[in-house]
Amino acid sequence: MSDALAFEAVRVRTIRSTYWLVGLALLLGALVAVALALATRDEPVDAALVAVGVTGGSQFSPLPFAAVLVGILGVFATGHEFRHGTVQPSLLALPRRSALVAAKLVVVALVGAGAAVAGLALNWVVTVVSRGAVVSVPDGEILLGYVVFVVLWGWLGAALALLFRNIPGALVVLLVVPLVVEPLISALSLVPAMDWLRDIVPYLPFSAGTSLVTVVDVGEATEAAGGTAALGRWAGGLVFAGAVGAVLAASWVLFERRDA
Amino acid sequence: MITAVGLTKRYGPKVAVDDLSFEVRPGVVTGFLGPNGAGKSTTMRLMLDLHRGGGETRFDGRRYRDVPRPMREIGAVLEAKAFHPTRSARNHLLMLAAANGIGSARVDEVLALVGLSDVAGGRPKGFSLGMSQRLGLACALLGDPHTLVLDEPANGLDPHGIQWLRDVLKSLAAQGRTVFVSSHLLAEMAQMADELVVIGRGRLIDSGPVSDFVGRFTRTTVLVRSPEASRLADLLADDGATVDSLSDGSLVVGGADAAAVGELAASYGVVLHQLVTRTASLEEAFLSATGAAEEYRGVSTHGSAA
Repeated sequence: MSDALAFEAVRVRTIRSTYWLVGLALLLGALVAVALALATRDEPVDAALVAVGVTGGSQFSPLPFAAVLVGILGVFATGHEFRHGTVQPSLLALPRRSALVAAKLVVVALVGAGAAVAGLALNWVVTVVSRGAVVSVPDGEILLGYVVFVVLWGWLGAALALLFRNIPGALVVLLVVPLVVEPLISALSLVPAMDWLRDIVPYLPFSAGTSLVTVVDVGEATEAAGGTAALGRWAGGLVFAGAVGAVLAASWVLFERRDA
Repeated sequence: MITAVGLTKRYGPKVAVDDLSFEVRPGVVTGFLGPNGAGKSTTMRLMLDLHRGGGETRFDGRRYRDVPRPMREIGAVLEAKAFHPTRSARNHLLMLAAANGIGSARVDEVLALVGLSDVAGGRPKGFSLGMSQRLGLACALLGDPHTLVLDEPANGLDPHGIQWLRDVLKSLAAQGRTVFVSSHLLAEMAQMADELVVIGRGRLIDSGPVSDFVGRFTRTTVLVRSPEASRLADLLADDGATVDSLSDGSLVVGGADAAAVGELAASYGVVLHQLVTRTASLEEAFLSATGAAEEYRGVSTHGSAA
């Protein structure tokens, strides 16, 4: 396993995409934080708004920047092996396939968590600088939820590309399901004839996952608008983690069995 | 020493490799020969546990997947262009080296050995097939292995490159290493290999020294020109020889040597204009051995225009 980790550490350091994906995640998150801080700098400090800025507005986007970009990093972690045929030299160097997959997940988690923590710190700093005043750091629960959220997206990307053995297929699922499919199901659940969908809506994986980055409770507002309230932070996180785990288990088993 | 036993690979109803068994000895270069589509690459992937199928291959008694840090014992390259286009050749090798506890000094050593030192830091995106083959060979040699498994390593090399590769493989074999190298070109194999494993349609056709293979599958024939060709053909046929008439009127005689043909002609007073012994080339031996086992065969257009 340590050989596989050494291999993955070199792999992730020696492609440019690692740097631009992490860089872009930090930049875009910071832009949200700066915009929010500048817009509200004359108002009294609102802890919830500060938390929205520090988490890069993740709660209110179907495709939160850091999550998507670390998700793409995950797609590349496994997808490049098939895209460029490096799966053969990789497995010739590390014939125990599970060790290779496990090492990829560890490295994606470390880079993802690193990017998330760095993003939180950067967003807090730019918020302070933009407001010109020190603001309190959001609750530990919010910060932890954000890191877990970003790491799960990274793992999902890696699992999808390992399952499809191609990058475009994994990206389509990673982007289209949260952006198109889940919002569509949520909207359809508002049609009286299809109200049975309302039981499903809280368990839609990406929507449930967003509970991890909840900083403002919009449950009442959602219900008032006829929608279904989301699950709690950790219950929603568990649903998302379950979905990620299912895709990962399927892809892992297939990777063990398939021809490389 | 490589021992492959009962290697089998099916794709649905199609059998790509069919109960294939062979041995590869150390100290010589063993060529793995077969027409395109014969199953050479699939066989090599089965050997290296990359493909899932039947049978097993042991490298000095162990399966590939059971060898810890396998690149230190078995060096293999299957696809020439198996690298990320923007990761430098040196970084590509450093990555593989890290997986097998190999130091960076060895990376620079193999880069120099294959002649890629000057381009090792740049993007390999623009590498020619020949340069890619050299990088592949560098990967295989990285762990200074005692066994090499190379799939079509000469593909894309220029004549100088092929000669260089032959010298490298011969010298590695001379050091007592096991070298197993595939090709679909017999002439290339004849220059490189001492022993052959020949397959067609996934089945073993022959294995042993190159010269034995050539002897077994080549038929020495006699070319005869005579103004009385048809009479001579009848006489030869009566004598038990096989006779083919060529379009220019000359005869190709099998089953009788030049002396026997000459004596027969003399005894019947048949005039000969030419009497030549022909030994089939290596390519002809290959075609004769694998002719029935060729996977993809185009339709000959000779004479069909009429």
